[in-house]
Amino acid sequence: MSHAESHDSHHSHGPDHVPHVTPLPVYLATFGTLCVLTVVTVGASYINLGTTVNLFIALIIATIKATVVALFFMHLKSDLRFHSVVFGSSVVFLIIFISFTMFDTNVRGQFEPQKRHRPAIMTDPFAAPSAPTATPSAAAAPAGSAPAGSQAPAHP
Amino acid sequence: MSRAVTADEMDVEAGGKNYLNAEKGIVSWLTTVDHKRIGLMYLVSTLTMFMIAGIFALILRFELLRSGQDVLTPGQYNQAFTLHGAMMVFLFIIPAIPGGLGNFVLPIMIGAKDVAFPKLNLLSLYLYWTGAIFTASSIVSTGLDTGWTFYVPYSTTVSQTSVIAVTFGAFILGFSSILTGLNFIVTIHKLRAPGVTWYRLPLMLWAIYATSIVQILATPVLAITLLLLILERAFHVGIFDPKLGGDPVLYQHFFWFYSHPAVYIMILPGMGIISDLIAVHSHRRIFGYKAIAFSSVAIALVGFMVWGHHMFTSGQSELSSTIFSFITFFVAVPSGVKVFNWTGTMWGGSVAWNTPMFYAMSFLFLFTIGGLTGLPLAMIGLDLHLHDTYFVVAHFHYVMMGGAVIAFIGGLHHWWPKMTGRMYNETTAKIACGLIFVGFNMTFFTQFFLGARGMPRRYHTYLDQYQPLHAFSTYGSWVLGAGLFLVLFTFIHSLFKGERAPANPWGGRSLEWQTPSPPPTENFHKTPVVTHGPYDFATTGK
Amino acid sequence: MMSASTEAAQEKGSPDFVVAHHFDKADTQFDAGRLGIWLFLVTEILFFGGLFCAFFIYRGWYFDSFVEAHHHLDKKMGALNTVFLITSSLTMALGVRSAQRSARKETVGFLLATVLLACAFLVVKYFEYTHKIHDGLLPGAMFHAQGFTTQHPGVFYAIYFVMTGIHGLHVVIGIGLILWILIRAQKGEFSSRYYAPVEGVGLYWHLVDLIWIYLFPLLYLVG
Repeated sequence: MSHAESHDSHHSHGPDHVPHVTPLPVYLATFGTLCVLTVVTVGASYINLGTTVNLFIALIIATIKATVVALFFMHLKSDLRFHSVVFGSSVVFLIIFISFTMFDTNVRGQFEPQKRHRPAIMTDPFAAPSAPTATPSAAAAPAGSAPAGSQAPAHP
Repeated sequence: MSRAVTADEMDVEAGGKNYLNAEKGIVSWLTTVDHKRIGLMYLVSTLTMFMIAGIFALILRFELLRSGQDVLTPGQYNQAFTLHGAMMVFLFIIPAIPGGLGNFVLPIMIGAKDVAFPKLNLLSLYLYWTGAIFTASSIVSTGLDTGWTFYVPYSTTVSQTSVIAVTFGAFILGFSSILTGLNFIVTIHKLRAPGVTWYRLPLMLWAIYATSIVQILATPVLAITLLLLILERAFHVGIFDPKLGGDPVLYQHFFWFYSHPAVYIMILPGMGIISDLIAVHSHRRIFGYKAIAFSSVAIALVGFMVWGHHMFTSGQSELSSTIFSFITFFVAVPSGVKVFNWTGTMWGGSVAWNTPMFYAMSFLFLFTIGGLTGLPLAMIGLDLHLHDTYFVVAHFHYVMMGGAVIAFIGGLHHWWPKMTGRMYNETTAKIACGLIFVGFNMTFFTQFFLGARGMPRRYHTYLDQYQPLHAFSTYGSWVLGAGLFLVLFTFIHSLFKGERAPANPWGGRSLEWQTPSPPPTENFHKTPVVTHGPYDFATTGK
Repeated sequence: MMSASTEAAQEKGSPDFVVAHHFDKADTQFDAGRLGIWLFLVTEILFFGGLFCAFFIYRGWYFDSFVEAHHHLDKKMGALNTVFLITSSLTMALGVRSAQRSARKETVGFLLATVLLACAFLVVKYFEYTHKIHDGLLPGAMFHAQGFTTQHPGVFYAIYFVMTGIHGLHVVIGIGLILWILIRAQKGEFSSRYYAPVEGVGLYWHLVDLIWIYLFPLLYLVG
């Protein structure tokens, strides 16, 4: 049984395994970076730059930390390239999952043009359509999704 | 492959020892790490579940023979269709082809001695059994009446049945499925024999590879979904409960992010089997190898972006529905590519009308109907009318049963001589195939009409106007059931009375046919060196 | 058969390691194991991914409530735990490095340090949990704290408890795994020729750290 992919492998030392030992300073530098970034992210949370900006700063710092961990502690930098592809694919599919779901949750009830002329009232859906004053957010939200009330902007 | 001795001669040399008789006793089976034995145990277990869930189906159809209440109360009817669905999906279709046939043929097809992690393979079988016990325990306790989708809030706040046991069972089955997929990906990457390049993999393995990707990426989301469902039901944590600020539609997103790709976990290996069946029994180099191979991967990936088409009527945003509907149509492209390539393979080949080929023909016919009826369901406007009617029931039975299960039974006939070392009776096998084909169409084609006329699914009774069609569908289910029992009979008969199978009864060119039937424990007496593709037949068509 | 494999093992210098029969050489077996672990980590990421998805959706919907609720989490405790976990990641990485260099005592020492740091993480978590439970800051229907001005604070705590709870469960499992390889390392089973289990558990442990790297700012810092 031969290794069909041995040409991709970074080690080709005959039948025995020879580990790739990362030098100690690399680990210490990684650890130092993580500590510094932890201080930075805690510090940044005390500065109010608007909640979205704060969220993005926190996410960017976390992503830098995660990348450092993956590259050095988890050896992705010196490992087979395919392992990075595997790891990266999880991130890609996670983004697909979250973004497609949020396509729904963030705009639920906002794309129903006919309801502008004939707003449906969830408590009385068969009422005469002559009540343009019905609260649009309540009408737009499907039953049970109270959040639209706080989130969805009112229809023009 | 030029060889001095045939596989059968090698078998004589080795004294007739094979994986079946190498060790004896039940303990040797339960502690085995041999992928072939694990595959067989998977087959026996999943087929048992198929039979139980199938009996539920026959009872359901019998209840629907006449309107009104006959053999089941409305509550029992709900429990019967739930268990039919849950067991068919989680205990039969998802594990059957990868766990059963895949486990058996994958290492042999790449010339390996075993899968990469043999003990993990056995663990995944044990997890399957554990999950099956949890799921089946509901039959003897309080049953389950949520439908196989466990939709909240019914499953968390209303249902009085054993939701937690079954969802926990499905949770464990998810782990089993993940471990199988993980094992297969590593095996295909690391254990190919010398000369087995990626483009010399049988198409079955491309399909299994694509399936494994889906198992790895989608199943964890099912795990977290079911865990949240259990927490919701046990502690009312409120993530899916609108009273507490949660969102029940979010449950559906979570659920279908797994369960739509899971449809491809079910059908992709079936497509892989069909690619092999058609090429081998047409004795013809497969038409469009790369197109079929990459269309499997494409289906797996596009399949991750279409889950919202199960939710057009759930109250999700119109923007989402439109995007999901649009992307859904793209799934038809790689599926169409496959169907045309299969047909192209037969053209100019020398087709041998063996039983597996009959199943392949049934598959082509039924899967095409199943696939095409998916398109109207993907259109938002039409779906609003067809949603939750028998049209949907017919559609997914054409894909799941007419596609995946027919391919599975076809594959079982194809590799049966290899697995057991016995041939089966071609006549009864063909009659069974015919009965299944006729019975299946009687049962489910009728349901397209029922659905289009407005018959909703999941009701134990109906208006009188649907009576003739329902009765016809029930008669069909009897024919279908008879066909399936004839398959069982054919196999049991073959085990005891079947002729000895030669190493290569169908004239296949891939590696599993180059070793004796049944294979020795280490699959090959000598590690094979491969110098040609899996479909390099003498006939190359016109 | 038995004597042949023992002979092969002695030739390789590590008494307990023989390349499994279905692999052609040690490198293939190592790479296969590592690929397997990476695929497993992918499933872990998607498993937590569902919860991150829920977090972002409900944060968008109940923004004010999330901000109000997250002020009840103790940033200092969270930061302390972050330091514990990244330090344990360092000791784990050094443990793997020692195993690669066949330094048995060092390996055992670093693994022990990792276990102790993980336990410290759990102790802090225990104090945080008891405090929350005492104050009634609980998920969904169990929420009974007074003085909240926003709607549905229970959703935040549902996500907080489920996320940190499952993460904590991973820490507990991690402790078990590290103890397992610690015992094996003590017995001298690992060397530069064979250290795959140490590396595998190491990768798992780094992932547990990696998830906390996201949990900490999202739950404690920006809410």
